Amino acid sequence: MRSIRTILAIAFAGSTALALAACGSSSSEPSTKATGASLVSTPGYPSPATESLGGKRGGTLEVLQESDFEHLDPGTTYAALDYPVVFATQRPLYSNKPNSTEPTPDMAAGPPEISANNKTITVHIKEGIHFSPPVNREVTSEDVAYAIERGANPDVANPYLKTYFNSLEGINQADGGPIKGIETPNKHEIVFHLDEAKGFFVAEALVLPLTAAVPKEYAEKYDKNKPSNYAAYEVATGPYMLKNDAEGKVLGIGYVPGKSATLVRNPNWNPKTDFRPAYLNEIDIKIGGSEPVIDRQVLEGTTIVQNEPVPQSGVRLAAEHYKSQMDISPGGGNRYVALDNKVGPFANIDLRKAVWAALDRVALNKERGGEVVSTVATHFLYPTINGFEQAGGLKGPAGPQFDYNEHPEGDMAIAEKYIKLAGYPSGKYTGTQTVQVVGASSPPEKEDAEVVNQTLKNLGFNTKLTLVEVSTMYAKYCGVPKEEIDVCPDVGWVADFADPQTVLDVTFAGKSIEPVGNVNFGQVDNPKINRAIAAAEVVQGKEARGKAWAKIDDELVEDAAAVPFDWEKTARLEGKDVHGVAMLWNEGAWDYSFTSLK
Amino acid sequence: MIRYIIQRLLWGVVLLIVLAVLIFILFRVLPTANPALLRAGRDPQPKLVKEIEVVLGLNKSLPVQCWDYLKEIFLHFDFGYSYYSQESVRSLIAEDLPETLSLTVGAGVLWIVAGLSVGIVSALRRHSFLDRALMGGALVAISAPEFWLGLVFLFLFASDIGKFKIFPGAGSYVGLTSDPWKWFTSLIMPWIVLASGSAAVFARLMRGSLSETMNEDYIRTARAKGLKERDVVRQGVRAAINPIVTLFGLEVGVLLGGAILVEVVFDIPGIGELFYKAIQTSDFPVTQGTVLLGSMFIIIANIVVDVGYAYLDPRVRYS
Repeated sequence: MRSIRTILAIAFAGSTALALAACGSSSSEPSTKATGASLVSTPGYPSPATESLGGKRGGTLEVLQESDFEHLDPGTTYAALDYPVVFATQRPLYSNKPNSTEPTPDMAAGPPEISANNKTITVHIKEGIHFSPPVNREVTSEDVAYAIERGANPDVANPYLKTYFNSLEGINQADGGPIKGIETPNKHEIVFHLDEAKGFFVAEALVLPLTAAVPKEYAEKYDKNKPSNYAAYEVATGPYMLKNDAEGKVLGIGYVPGKSATLVRNPNWNPKTDFRPAYLNEIDIKIGGSEPVIDRQVLEGTTIVQNEPVPQSGVRLAAEHYKSQMDISPGGGNRYVALDNKVGPFANIDLRKAVWAALDRVALNKERGGEVVSTVATHFLYPTINGFEQAGGLKGPAGPQFDYNEHPEGDMAIAEKYIKLAGYPSGKYTGTQTVQVVGASSPPEKEDAEVVNQTLKNLGFNTKLTLVEVSTMYAKYCGVPKEEIDVCPDVGWVADFADPQTVLDVTFAGKSIEPVGNVNFGQVDNPKINRAIAAAEVVQGKEARGKAWAKIDDELVEDAAAVPFDWEKTARLEGKDVHGVAMLWNEGAWDYSFTSLK
Repeated sequence: MIRYIIQRLLWGVVLLIVLAVLIFILFRVLPTANPALLRAGRDPQPKLVKEIEVVLGLNKSLPVQCWDYLKEIFLHFDFGYSYYSQESVRSLIAEDLPETLSLTVGAGVLWIVAGLSVGIVSALRRHSFLDRALMGGALVAISAPEFWLGLVFLFLFASDIGKFKIFPGAGSYVGLTSDPWKWFTSLIMPWIVLASGSAAVFARLMRGSLSETMNEDYIRTARAKGLKERDVVRQGVRAAINPIVTLFGLEVGVLLGGAILVEVVFDIPGIGELFYKAIQTSDFPVTQGTVLLGSMFIIIANIVVDVGYAYLDPRVRYS
């Protein structure tokens, strides 16, 4: 029998070879090795971790997507589905190349300058970047400042400003007007003053679209509406723009809600200031229809792509007949079983470990499409995130104390050992309390919930399984601590950028427990872990942060704070004549600025 | 007769108000997510949630929200604004109504013509091979959900993904005014799929009703008097059709329900697809507006049926 290390070495060698081959036509070096992305790339399929970035100029790409965009305003947008349009039309201070999770200067002229005390960040902005018509003028640092400030305007309501920029001076008083901690000494320089030593982390967050410039004199009148309707008139700084009229109106022209969006070339874009090749002339996005039909239309079509994660039926169809047309991206986030650490039976750590030991994580992964689009998780930091390797890579933390993590198919003997340790000598849970399990009613979450529910029953728990629509599951049950849901069998998290804090902080820090909209689903509030998180938040440097957060990941596993079972990969489909390039950092969504026609 | 019509119309309005209240309550009592939470990102800050609630008017008490909602609908015919696109629901509906009308009116015509024709042929050829084949087909059409039937049609006959590339496939819909021929061909499969279930119900009912009528004494008398068979059948059909007319109003509801699925499968940007997306995103104003519009159509269809029935059978209006 080959050891796991041998298999990893072979897999790694194979994918590295592919990566090297791919680099022949690309000037950029994929940064997938350090974050483990190449380890979980599915052999035989195109992947953003290995994709060539070269292409042919010209043509119109047709895009099919079932769902509508949530928000295209750079100040509000926060969905993987929106980002391909947002990042083709807007340039934040920093961006990720499609095959990388390393921030690359975009609007910025170079890397951020972080002061020695980690409290000041200075960014120089490139000259020669202009807004699209009808604004046309050059972008200045004040436009970046306004873009961030308007995020605090309740009528714009940026969803992450106060999560990632909470150390910015004056952020708590911000309401859309100037923020004390943002200074613009000249037209091409912006300085961020922090009241905590979190410079490195805030600098990493500058890849978010909130930092994409917005011209105040143009947008202000739209931002005064309740809510802001700047998106209906938004201008671009990227290679493409949403088609508009002479007054700048996009709504009904370049974007028809629920129906279509049209991206055309931004006439004011200067390729000399950008790393994006922007091969395509136009991108026509069609919204609507149903997944099974869209899958087939794309696979049998030519200059067409599908821009949503492909459901299992589509993955199966493509795997059998159209292998080269399915791009599989690692880094689709983690999935885990949330167990209430605060009240109920799972406040007992040994019962949590028993569930972990008994759970057949391989079966759960099969429910999600098997190894083509899924990898069995052994800890919380997932491939593509800094710290994944330090946290044990594919195998996870090692040692006899992690015996419950050793058998992904589930091991009832180990589970019984922990139930006995919890005070139930029979090896089965004999408490009288009924365990509340709330899952989502749509596949594959429904099937996952049933597997978890059966595991609990096998361990002796009386359970009450409730299945509801997925947004209801989060907003009404799993995100509301007072509902006292014991088990949420299938929750997950995707990082906003590749810093490990974005994966582990709000999901496991005691301070992040909120009465509604709570994302620390298991109400994990372990003082030791809380202290480690507080210390890791101010750590500087990529390597050091990876190490610090990997240690927290180990502690979460040791505490069995939740049961991770899946590191997701996402599949996207492309037509025969498309050279699709997907975003490694954004769940494998297509990067329109790098995609081309053959 | 006019008094009867006015009475029915007034009841229709009362019913609509009651329905509007019920729809409002339904979408708030059911375990749905708070729309403000859905818009506050994955790590929603309580302050931000509160601010969004104010923007969406969700901070007001439920009775006040309900009163505002009813006032706007019945005084200004204003359904509010979409939580997502911030567009007026009235304009969203107005924009999508032609597509849904194209689909449902066409399917309605097909349903009545096909349903009645098949029913009449089957009744007149009872127990023949043709009768059995038609009734067998009707049974399949009744049993097959529109969503599944739509996919089968696309995988068999769509010009892009079908085995036999005959009809334009999903997403090929164009407006009647921009290209009438394309409009017609793009709707052939959706019409067939949407009409099939209701047509099958009508065919079976018509067969039963006409078979019974054709055995009545007066039909025998008519034949004995030497009336042409065509005229005899015409008399029979007129008598047999009355009980089926009452079903028309109910079937309009079924048709509108089916239109949601057919629009999604065939990617027709109508009110059904609008409703489907609004449900997925807890976009209450759009959901309420589209459901209320559907209810209004069903009420109108039932009033038309009642009036038609009163016209055909005067005893109805006098009672």
